[in-house]
Amino acid sequence: MIRMLLRVLGREYTRPMRRTVALMAVTAIAEGLSYALLVPVLRALFGSNPGDARPWLAAFGAAVAVYAVLRYRSDLSGFRVGATLLRGLYHRFGNHLARLPIGRYSAGRVGEVSVMAGRGLLQAMGVAAHLLAPFISACVTPLTIVVVMLAFDWRMGLAASVAVPVVAAIQHRTGRSMAAVDAERAERDHEATARVVEYLQAQPVLRAGGRTAERFRLLDDSLLAVERASHRTILSALPGAVALTLAVQAMFTVLLVLGAHLALGGNIGAAEVLTFLVLAARCADPLLSLSDLGGRLRSARSVLARLDTVLGTEPLPEAREPIRPEGHDVEFDSVSFRHGDRTVVDDVSLSVPEGQRLAVVGPSGAGKSTLLQLLARFYDVDAGAVRVGGVDVRDIDGEVLMAQIAIVFQEVYLFDGTIEENVRLGRPDAADAEVRAAAAAAQLDEVVERLPGGWSTKVGEGGALLSGGERQRVSIARALLKNAPIVLLDEVTSALDPVNETAVHEGIERLMRGRTVVMVAHRLRTVQRADRVAFLDGGRIVEQGSHDELLRRGGRYADFWDISMAG
Amino acid sequence: MTTTDLAGASVRSTPPPDAGPATGRSAAGLLRPYLPGFATVVVFQVIGAIAGLAPLLAVVELGRVLLSSGPVDHGHVWFVVVAGAVGLFVRLLFTAASSGIGHVLDSRVQLTFRRQLAARLGRVPIGWFSRRRTGELAKVVGEDVGAVHPFIAHAPAELVSAFVVPLVSLVYLFTVDWRLTLITLVPVVLAVALVPLMTTPTRRREQEEFDGAMGRISSSVVEFVQGIAVVKAFGGSGRAHRRFLTAADDFVGVFFRWVRGVSGIAAGMQLALSPPFVLLVVLIGGAALITDGGLAPADLLPFLLLGLGLTAPVAALGHGFDDLQAARRAVGRIRDVLQVPPLPEPAHPVAPRGHRVELRDVRFGYSDDHEVLRGIDLVLDPGTVTAIVGPSGSGKSTLVRLLPRFFDPTRGSVALGGVDLRELDSRELYRTVSFVFQDVRLLRASVADNIALAVPDADLDDVVRAARLADIHDRILALPRGYETVLGDEAGLSGGEAQRISLARALLADAPVLVLDEATAFADPRTEQAVRRALATQAGERTILVIAHRLETVADADTVVVLENGRIAERGKPAELLAQDGKFAAFWRSRRSAIADGTGTRGVPRGDELR
Repeated sequence: MIRMLLRVLGREYTRPMRRTVALMAVTAIAEGLSYALLVPVLRALFGSNPGDARPWLAAFGAAVAVYAVLRYRSDLSGFRVGATLLRGLYHRFGNHLARLPIGRYSAGRVGEVSVMAGRGLLQAMGVAAHLLAPFISACVTPLTIVVVMLAFDWRMGLAASVAVPVVAAIQHRTGRSMAAVDAERAERDHEATARVVEYLQAQPVLRAGGRTAERFRLLDDSLLAVERASHRTILSALPGAVALTLAVQAMFTVLLVLGAHLALGGNIGAAEVLTFLVLAARCADPLLSLSDLGGRLRSARSVLARLDTVLGTEPLPEAREPIRPEGHDVEFDSVSFRHGDRTVVDDVSLSVPEGQRLAVVGPSGAGKSTLLQLLARFYDVDAGAVRVGGVDVRDIDGEVLMAQIAIVFQEVYLFDGTIEENVRLGRPDAADAEVRAAAAAAQLDEVVERLPGGWSTKVGEGGALLSGGERQRVSIARALLKNAPIVLLDEVTSALDPVNETAVHEGIERLMRGRTVVMVAHRLRTVQRADRVAFLDGGRIVEQGSHDELLRRGGRYADFWDISMAG
Repeated sequence: MTTTDLAGASVRSTPPPDAGPATGRSAAGLLRPYLPGFATVVVFQVIGAIAGLAPLLAVVELGRVLLSSGPVDHGHVWFVVVAGAVGLFVRLLFTAASSGIGHVLDSRVQLTFRRQLAARLGRVPIGWFSRRRTGELAKVVGEDVGAVHPFIAHAPAELVSAFVVPLVSLVYLFTVDWRLTLITLVPVVLAVALVPLMTTPTRRREQEEFDGAMGRISSSVVEFVQGIAVVKAFGGSGRAHRRFLTAADDFVGVFFRWVRGVSGIAAGMQLALSPPFVLLVVLIGGAALITDGGLAPADLLPFLLLGLGLTAPVAALGHGFDDLQAARRAVGRIRDVLQVPPLPEPAHPVAPRGHRVELRDVRFGYSDDHEVLRGIDLVLDPGTVTAIVGPSGSGKSTLVRLLPRFFDPTRGSVALGGVDLRELDSRELYRTVSFVFQDVRLLRASVADNIALAVPDADLDDVVRAARLADIHDRILALPRGYETVLGDEAGLSGGEAQRISLARALLADAPVLVLDEATAFADPRTEQAVRRALATQAGERTILVIAHRLETVADADTVVVLENGRIAERGKPAELLAQDGKFAAFWRSRRSAIADGTGTRGVPRGDELR
């Protein structure tokens, strides 16, 4: 557990973490040892001369004071380590995410990762701040007490120490058997969540079919599966908990019986027996809390394991000695790219001279968008090379490469800020006039006029408060403001209505002027303005040439064109 | 974590009674059937806890016997020992049973909650969803219901050990010696005395800051992750990344401040309640009382054994019942969802006569202060195609969404076959109106099930026919198991393919009224063609309303409606409107010039000429 925590944290936190754990253990030992003084205190109090207890009582007081100091320090240290840990985790997580291939952020992953980064990290910190100290104390204090008993009376001590391996074995076994059940349960939960999301998103369709909750079996099945998995969890957790209680109580009973027997036989003083039984009661409570603590630690552990997986994902390698590209031409050289076991791009070679425009056309799923993503290094190629200005993108510093490229995506993500902030993202140090000019060029100004708050209208998370066309204009303005020499357009106008399309087109036209452009498109108007057209199908280039050439050839592209034109 | 919640830590997990029958069953109402089970859990827990005192009392009794002068009664000793052992066994039995029943009950309750939530979410107006994030709702159904767990499964044990056991012990100890009992309570008093320090205005402010910072960090995490593609693409990865890290540092800073303020007091409380300190206090008091002969030495024992238990309530409060608080908040969110009024169903549904759709003075706004539709009068006759055009933000999407009753108009009415939609049975409505919108949802189910979603009893032939019509049949056959292929698991479809499946779905539903957003068609030319062909074959007696994006569609429509700013600016036959030389004509010309750009080399698009 702690090892995993340390791995997730990174090496620099090893020492403070170790120190805290050590402090907590020392505190627990101090508590156990202080109880040793109860024996002489009680012996005196139960004896004929209770006044003799005074010096021992003073000693016990001193021991408690030592314990108090230790306890205070270890509590604070737990908090502090927790907070430091949290800071470290956020930084590590943030740095790592920023370096991961963007292609990995599919919709599902985004949800998972945000949950992890939000609640998961806090939970991991909670381990250090809240769970560690009780857990260590619940293990170490009883052990120390057993040692104390052994020192005073070997028979009672021995009887108590028999419980140690039993309790340890039970904890170990429970932990193991629970791991499998927990995993299954997490799986079912995950499945059910997916079904719930599906159920919510498909409401219009489901209702059309009269599939309300009762009749949508897929959802109900998954909810039932969660219940069943949780029953199984209970069934496998209960024996462990019962066994632990049984073991602890058996120890207490044995001590009670043995103590009574020894005392009746006159083999041991009454005070000793009674003190031992008080101590045994002191052992029992923390031991019984172990099963609860164990469960909480297990759940924290599973969060850590997921964090560990994310942090273990290889980021895109950064070039050791980055090269600065000179020109702005773009080249795909025998590029292949696989996603899972599917070849998405298969031996594609293309080149776009500086200032020219390439249109990539083809049926959906042909790998068009992937080409753009490879160019922006959202992924790395599996074979071949993508070059910008003659330099392999893998040899270019990430920030430098991105400075060369402006992308307009089909799906626009806007940050929950004002329209102006979102445009400014293109170039944060741009003057106001420049921002306004870019907005005007993208015909965003007319959108802004219509909005209640004008430029300072908040757009909502993901830009939810704007329509698709309006979001698109924001993203074009952003790209215009960025003023990068290479422009990538991904089916920019595919989901727009005519009015928006006209507006967006004019913005795009300005954006493309004088720049190297690679665009994925099927709207004829855009395609036709390209210097070259590449027809992609199944990840391969089927045809390439100018629009007119391809039409004359009468091949796939010409068919495609015909379909588009046919009424 | 919320140590400062001490003062307000009451266990109000049961929500207040329901506001009225109209709001549906509340969370408390849902829990009612489980009350007997829950009572059993609590009773068993109490029995177990009290039985758990037996061994401690046995030790006390043993002490009395052993420490008394005079001969020891062996029989009595063994009786006491056996009683203690039996007590332990009873405790084991009852707590285990209680915990087992509690957990089973818990998973039952969770299932019930989830089913109820799903049922309610299946009946709220669809428009209600558009203002909520799916993730949030999914969290209510999943996580929030899960947060009920500690309340049902753990609360009884925690509460019993925190309150019942200390109370019983306290009464017993008072009967032994009231002075030492008061002394034993000293640590408790000390700890409680520290509570006000935690609720000073400064501490409260720190707590609020902490909660705020917690919210900020979560949202900045979400934003960072979701917007990462944009952030990277604009070379701002360093910047946005720094923003995230700054938020993290802020949070940690606030956390540190909070900890610095609270940790001293919290640690002090922990210390006052710690076993060594309590034992020290008891021993000092006991020693004093024993030396002046006021207390029999054997009477010290119960305080050593039971005295520690007295601190339990404060210790429990110190943890602030964190889980219970969280559960309470979760139940609140669950209740909120359960109280969303469902789309009202008519008590006496009226059957529509025919399929004419009439909108009369329809007004609608998503919020009170901003109307999106401002008085729409529109009649859609069976067998006609009505095309809506207009700039973005003019209310086109909102208008078409009133037909499948995603929203009810705030004023005016939408009628189908002479009957207000609100008086139609919702099944009837959905059988009559089918729609293809931009956001395609495929279920993780077989292709056939996906197409037959609206017509679950359709046979495969019909499904195949619809698939052919939507031009997706060949693609389906190429899937690993054809129509039986489970989408998402065994195969994924591209955007255009998914849209053709959605089209096939609408075609199979064969509803007399079809509402269509043509943007759907623009995934690729093939889908575009399929939609157009389907539109053509679907004509006849069908009523079609389409948000038109293509000139061909506009030209072929019987009626064109130009929407502007929530009002109908122009309407009529396309040719007539063109002749009027108004808004539509301007729109048409701008589009034509755009198309003309693209048609220089080959062919002229059909439909470019008006009928």
